[in-house]
Amino acid sequence: MKHINFKTVCFVGFLASMMGSVYADTLRMAYSVAPKTIDPYKSSASATASLNEHVYEALVSRTNEKLLATSYGWTDDTTLVVNLRKGVKFHNGADFTAEDVIYSSCRMMYRVDGKKNMLTSAMGPVTDVVAIDDHTVAFKTVGLYPILIQKLKSLSILDSGDADLGATLKFDNTGDCGITRYPTKAEFESGKYANGTGKYKYESFANTGDAALVRNDNYWGEPGNWDRVEMTSVENSGARMAGLLAGDYDLIENPTGEDLLALEGNPAYSYSTMPSWRTIFLILDVGSDVAPGVTAADGSNPLKDIRVRQALSLSIDRDAIVDKLMGGNATVASQFAPSYQDGADSSMPNMAYDADKARQLLAEAGYSDSISIDLRMPTGKYQNGKRVGQAIAQYWSRIGIQVNLVAEPWSVFRKGRSARELGVFMYGWGHPQGPSQMISYAFGTRDKALNLGGSNYSNYTDPDYDAAMRAWAVETDEAKAFEYNQEAMRIAVRDLPGIPLYYQHSIWAHKSDISVSGRPDERTFADMATKN
Amino acid sequence: MISYITKRLWQSGLLAFIMSLIVFLGMYVVGDPVEMLSEEDWTEQDKIELAIELGLDKPLHEQYLNFAGDIIQGDFGVSFVHNRPVLDLIVERLPATLEIAVLAMVIGLSIGIPLGIYSGIKNNSRGSRIISFFSTIGYSTPNFWQAILLIMVFAVFLKWLPASGRGLTNSMFGIEWAWLSLDGLKHMTLPAINLAIYKICMQQRLAKSGTQEILYQEYMTFARAKGITRNRIIRRHLLRNILIPIVTITGLEVGGLIAFSTVTETIFSWPGIGKLLLDSIHMVDRPVVVAYLILITLMFVFINFIVDVMYAFLDPRIRHQK
Repeated sequence: MKHINFKTVCFVGFLASMMGSVYADTLRMAYSVAPKTIDPYKSSASATASLNEHVYEALVSRTNEKLLATSYGWTDDTTLVVNLRKGVKFHNGADFTAEDVIYSSCRMMYRVDGKKNMLTSAMGPVTDVVAIDDHTVAFKTVGLYPILIQKLKSLSILDSGDADLGATLKFDNTGDCGITRYPTKAEFESGKYANGTGKYKYESFANTGDAALVRNDNYWGEPGNWDRVEMTSVENSGARMAGLLAGDYDLIENPTGEDLLALEGNPAYSYSTMPSWRTIFLILDVGSDVAPGVTAADGSNPLKDIRVRQALSLSIDRDAIVDKLMGGNATVASQFAPSYQDGADSSMPNMAYDADKARQLLAEAGYSDSISIDLRMPTGKYQNGKRVGQAIAQYWSRIGIQVNLVAEPWSVFRKGRSARELGVFMYGWGHPQGPSQMISYAFGTRDKALNLGGSNYSNYTDPDYDAAMRAWAVETDEAKAFEYNQEAMRIAVRDLPGIPLYYQHSIWAHKSDISVSGRPDERTFADMATKN
Repeated sequence: MISYITKRLWQSGLLAFIMSLIVFLGMYVVGDPVEMLSEEDWTEQDKIELAIELGLDKPLHEQYLNFAGDIIQGDFGVSFVHNRPVLDLIVERLPATLEIAVLAMVIGLSIGIPLGIYSGIKNNSRGSRIISFFSTIGYSTPNFWQAILLIMVFAVFLKWLPASGRGLTNSMFGIEWAWLSLDGLKHMTLPAINLAIYKICMQQRLAKSGTQEILYQEYMTFARAKGITRNRIIRRHLLRNILIPIVTITGLEVGGLIAFSTVTETIFSWPGIGKLLLDSIHMVDRPVVVAYLILITLMFVFINFIVDVMYAFLDPRIRHQK
């Protein structure tokens, strides 16, 4: 065994510790959740996607900008043709072509390391992917599936040269595709095949989620803002803020309201906010004869009565919640998805507050002082979630409803939800697909063929709503699809199978020598930040 | 001795079995891994496939038997969340925890015991009272509060030390260690001190009460009467005799440090096994939680065994017992 000289070790360590400052423009970010891997198909978690987005690109960005696609369109009911960007190179120097899109589709379907990829739903009901020429690719689906391009946002494009392709590359559902060797997850994490077309290149990744990236100087578009990006994750919000104040990081995500107060009056630090796509709402079991945790003096399910639902909604002062509890970092909701997201009807009025009318409606329905509700909610999931839950409990008790607030860990909550044990619960939903995503799953009669109503915990069913959503599901014309969706949204807000509350804003705290533009999808990307 | 070891082994096996059963059932109650891993847009079929892949489609007793069978063969299973062998995950995180635990214990013993002996011998002196005062504060304030205070003072105001993370690591024997680089040492300092404060206070108290008890024993008076020097009395007679309770507690404390420094690791974002346990509980990563706690049980059994052996080494009465 070679003897290790302690002084040498210290010196090397010291040199290495100086390395960070060699790079002129390094951005050090602290995430609130640790990325799990740098294999882009293996985890659906948002933090993982945040990291991977630096390295890999999809055809279309989350905000509908064209990345590796230059245009796309349906040539018939089941064929989506995508024109690919020319002159794009992977980090290893390989050219980006249609073959890479087919290969990526194959790997998404393949059980890499014998495990299902967590993002396989990105492929939807795709039956074939074929190259028309080197820079044109066609996706074939079983039936009409207009939202395919939305789903494909999760298909990061990888280099086919990193696998051993067989004689012919032919897409199939198992991902076999005639490919003899796929790169494994471990090979991505070691950096061997962490090879995309994104603005930043892999430098290191540790299983703790820490990563370092360097700028891709051969990027096809505007190159990245930073020479080097270091990311680490600090789950505890107090520790994250302390790290920022101690100078360990330049940018942190998700500070708490209290933390922001600490920043005020300190000129060295600042924070930036951005309205996010996440809507916070309540779900009410309006369909069951007995809703779990909800009782009325006469033994019925009071939530079946529209007047009770209206009363529950009217009794909540959303303005007060937004101003007082959220410190202004939220927007009062007008519907179940942000009114500022693509495809939403932005003319819908904010949800109203009128406690007197709420009391009157309850009296008309014959439920004055006779309802008891268990309001269930997850802890640690939404900004100020617990306090908002307490506020709602108070608003409801003011109109004579007895409320029992039950806050549970996410895992326990989700188990209860899947067992349909939650009669009334708080939830948050945010998705790049826009308003249609939430209401296509959350309300409406279960339709397996069209994948509608899969998360209908309201047990809500309405023929007009279903008709609108079914029409939406097969409409390839985007403008018409938006209209169907808006109609369904108006019906949902009329019938209140749930109660929209507010849209959450994302917050980043940072040094004041950088500006942060923010993103609506709760992800943190290095290029949000620019040096002043 | 052999029958003693056999008995110990049998007991620890039984303990590990009961432990695994309780934790396995507990994790089942906590949540459904498929729910935690799946997305809202997954179809029913996607969820069923995932459940089959994780072996969760089988009845619970069958799941447990499969799991237990694998463990007996040394296979601790694969993490639901990380998709990697559980043992790899634990072994990978262990060095990070070990290094701050060892450093904290070294600080605790090397400061706590001398302070304790001093305050025991010089009871009622001003120095002794000052030591007791700080020891009481250190002993009774919560660990996480001390951690935040340390961060505020040394990281935020003075900016001497980093507030979180492990910093640069260097490899030795194929394992990554932080203490081999200056940056890593800097990162280690605050979490190690955070863990050490409580240990210092406890060792000080143990050493003090031990000292006071032994100081007035007849053999101490006799040693003094024989004219043995003060230092030799302390080293040969006092220290040896106060060590037995200290060794017992230190054994348990080392175990506790390794297994449950979760709070410190969380606040300082130290990537050790405590943090792994917490994350795994949140994500209902049952294989990790169960395997972790089984290993911890075995570790405690082992530490107790070492402590027993050390008793015999320290105390001739135990050594010569029949």
